[in-house]
Amino acid sequence: MTKTQEIVGQQTVLECEEVCRWFGGLQALKGITLTVKEGEIFGLVGPNGSGKTTLVNAITGFYPPQQGAIRFLGEPINGLRPHRIAQKGIARTFQNVALFKGLSVLDNILLGRHIFMRPSSLASLFYWWWAQKEEVSHRVKVEEVIDLLQLESVRDQPVDVIPLGMQKRVELARALCAEPRFLVLDEPMAGMNQEEKEYMVRFILDARDAMGVTMLLIEHHMDVVTAICNRAVVLNNGEKIAEGPTREAINDPAVVAAYIGKTQDAA
Amino acid sequence: MFYRLSGIKHTRYASSRALWPVTADRRIMQVLVALALLAPFFLSDLYLTSYMLPWLIWTAAALSLTLLMGMAGQLHFGFAAVLAIGAYTSIHLTRAGVPFEFALLGAGLMSAFIGVIFGAAALRVKGLYLVMATLAMQYLVEWVIINVPAISGGAQATLSTPDVTFLFVPLQSDASLYYMALLWTVVVTLLLLNIKRTSFGRALVAVRDKDFAAAVIGVDPVKYKLLAFFAASFLGGVTGAILAFCYYQAVTPEQFGFNVSIQLVAMVLVGGLGSVIGAYLGAGFVLLLPIVLTNVLAFVASYEWMPISFNLIAHIPLMVYGALIIGVLLYEPLGLAKIYDNLRKYFVVWPFRHTQS
Repeated sequence: MTKTQEIVGQQTVLECEEVCRWFGGLQALKGITLTVKEGEIFGLVGPNGSGKTTLVNAITGFYPPQQGAIRFLGEPINGLRPHRIAQKGIARTFQNVALFKGLSVLDNILLGRHIFMRPSSLASLFYWWWAQKEEVSHRVKVEEVIDLLQLESVRDQPVDVIPLGMQKRVELARALCAEPRFLVLDEPMAGMNQEEKEYMVRFILDARDAMGVTMLLIEHHMDVVTAICNRAVVLNNGEKIAEGPTREAINDPAVVAAYIGKTQDAA
Repeated sequence: MFYRLSGIKHTRYASSRALWPVTADRRIMQVLVALALLAPFFLSDLYLTSYMLPWLIWTAAALSLTLLMGMAGQLHFGFAAVLAIGAYTSIHLTRAGVPFEFALLGAGLMSAFIGVIFGAAALRVKGLYLVMATLAMQYLVEWVIINVPAISGGAQATLSTPDVTFLFVPLQSDASLYYMALLWTVVVTLLLLNIKRTSFGRALVAVRDKDFAAAVIGVDPVKYKLLAFFAASFLGGVTGAILAFCYYQAVTPEQFGFNVSIQLVAMVLVGGLGSVIGAYLGAGFVLLLPIVLTNVLAFVASYEWMPISFNLIAHIPLMVYGALIIGVLLYEPLGLAKIYDNLRKYFVVWPFRHTQS
C-alpha cells in the first residue's frame, strides 16, 4: 500500500469536465467530471449501460462529447480524431478483443510501435537500406514488453488460435508498446477464470510499476477493482453517483442501490 | 520440399525476419531465379513470348491488385482501367519524346492520381458498394479513352508503341522484352514481400481487419486507405505500360475491358488473397490453363476416338476452366497459395502430422 502511495503523484493526467454525449434522444453521459492523477489506477464501475464505455469512447475520440471538455496533461483533446489522440499518448484495450486476425502475435504487438515508426512503401522497397534498422530497433522494444508479459511461447503464432486469456494479454502488450502516459483498460478480465484473472492483475501492476503508466480500469469484478484501484468513480444512467477511494465509493448506499436495488424494492 | 525445420534457430532479429528464413527455401528461390534468367536460352521463342512473358506481366498486375484487395482489403473491380491509364500515358509520353524510363514513372503517377480519386470512395463505403464505385471507374475510363481521339488516336484506332530503350538497352529482341518484364515483376515481388514485413504493410492489414482498433493505436485509416490505392494504382500503371510495350506492342481500348478486370480479380482470388506466391499461381492458372485445356482437347480430338464437333472443342475448355475455378475455391477458399502451403507443411513434418503455426 505504501508503495502505491509513493507512485501516485500530484500531476493531473486526465481531466473530464461536464462531459455530455447524446445518441439521438438518449443522453448517455450527463455531465461527467473526473480527474485522474499521475501513477494512479483509477476504477470506473457501474451497471451495464451506465455509460462507462461511452465515456472511454469520448476520451479516445470515437464519440467526441457534444458538451464539456476533456484535457490530457492540460491540453484539450476533445474533437481530435482517434489516431491523433493515440499519438498524444493515450492507449486503450477493448472489451471484446480487437486484435488483427490476419497477423501473428509478434506483428500485432509491433503495430503498437506504429506511432514511433516512419512507414512508407518506398522504405519497404529498399528494406535492406532504409527499413531494416528501424524494424530491428523497434523489435528490441517489443521483446522487452513480450518479456514483461510472458508472451514468448506464442510469439510466432497466428493471433486467432491462442486462448482468450492470452489474446487479452497480447492486446495489453500492444497498448504498452506505444509507451502511453495514460492507458484505458476496458474490462481486461471479462470472460476469464480466477487464475487468468490473477495473472492479469499481476501484469497490470507490473506494467504500471515498470513503465510508469497511469491507468483507467473498467471492470465488473469488484474484487479486482477494490484490490488494485486507488480511487474509483461509479456511474449509473450516465450520471456519476459516487467518487472517492475505491472501497468507500463502492460501499456508498447509492451504489449498492444501483447494483442490487433498494431494500424496499425487494418483494 | 523434403527438408526439416528442426534445428533452425535464429539468433538475430534481422535474420529471423529474412525473406526466406529457411536455408532450403532460399536455395529453391535461387534455382527459380536462375531458371528465369536462363529462360531465353532454353525456351523456344514461342514459349518465351506467348507463355512466360504474359505470365510474368499478368503476375505483376495480380501482385499490384493483391496489395490493394488482399493486404489493404479494398475491393477493386476496375483494375484494367488502371492498367489502361498506364499503357496510354506511357505511349503518349514516349511519342512526345520522353525517355522510356521517365515514361514508366509518368504512367505510374498518372494511374496513381486517377486511382486515388476513385479510391476516395473507399473512405465512405465498403464491400459491395466499393465494388460499384470501382466499376464506375472501369466504365468511365474506358469511355473517356474511346471517345477522346487525343487519347485513343481516333475511333477504332490502334496505337502502336514506338521503339524505345531502357537504360541504353534497345527493347527490340524477344529476350530484351522478356528481361524487361522479368525485372519489373521481380521489383514488384520484392516490394510486396518487404511491405509484408514492415510497418507499412502492418498498418494496411490493421486498417483491413479492424479500422477502429487501427485508429486507437495511431494508424490513420483515411491515410492508409488512400496510400493503398496510390501504391497499388502506381504499380498497376507501370505494369500497364510494361504490358503495352513488352507484350501487346499495339493497344486498343478493348484490351482493357471489364472482362480483364474480372480476370484480374479471379487471379487474385484463385491464387489467394494477399499472397505473393498466390499471384504467380493465380496468374498462371487463369492465363495458362485455358491454353493447356484447349491443347489437350485438340490432342485428344486428333486421335478421333470419338467424333467431337468444333463447337464443342471451343466450349469444353471454357466449361472445365470455370468448373476448376469454382472447384479450387470450394476446396480451399484461401486459394492455390494455401494449397501449396498445406502441401509444404505436410512434407516438412512427414511422417508426422502436427505442425506448429
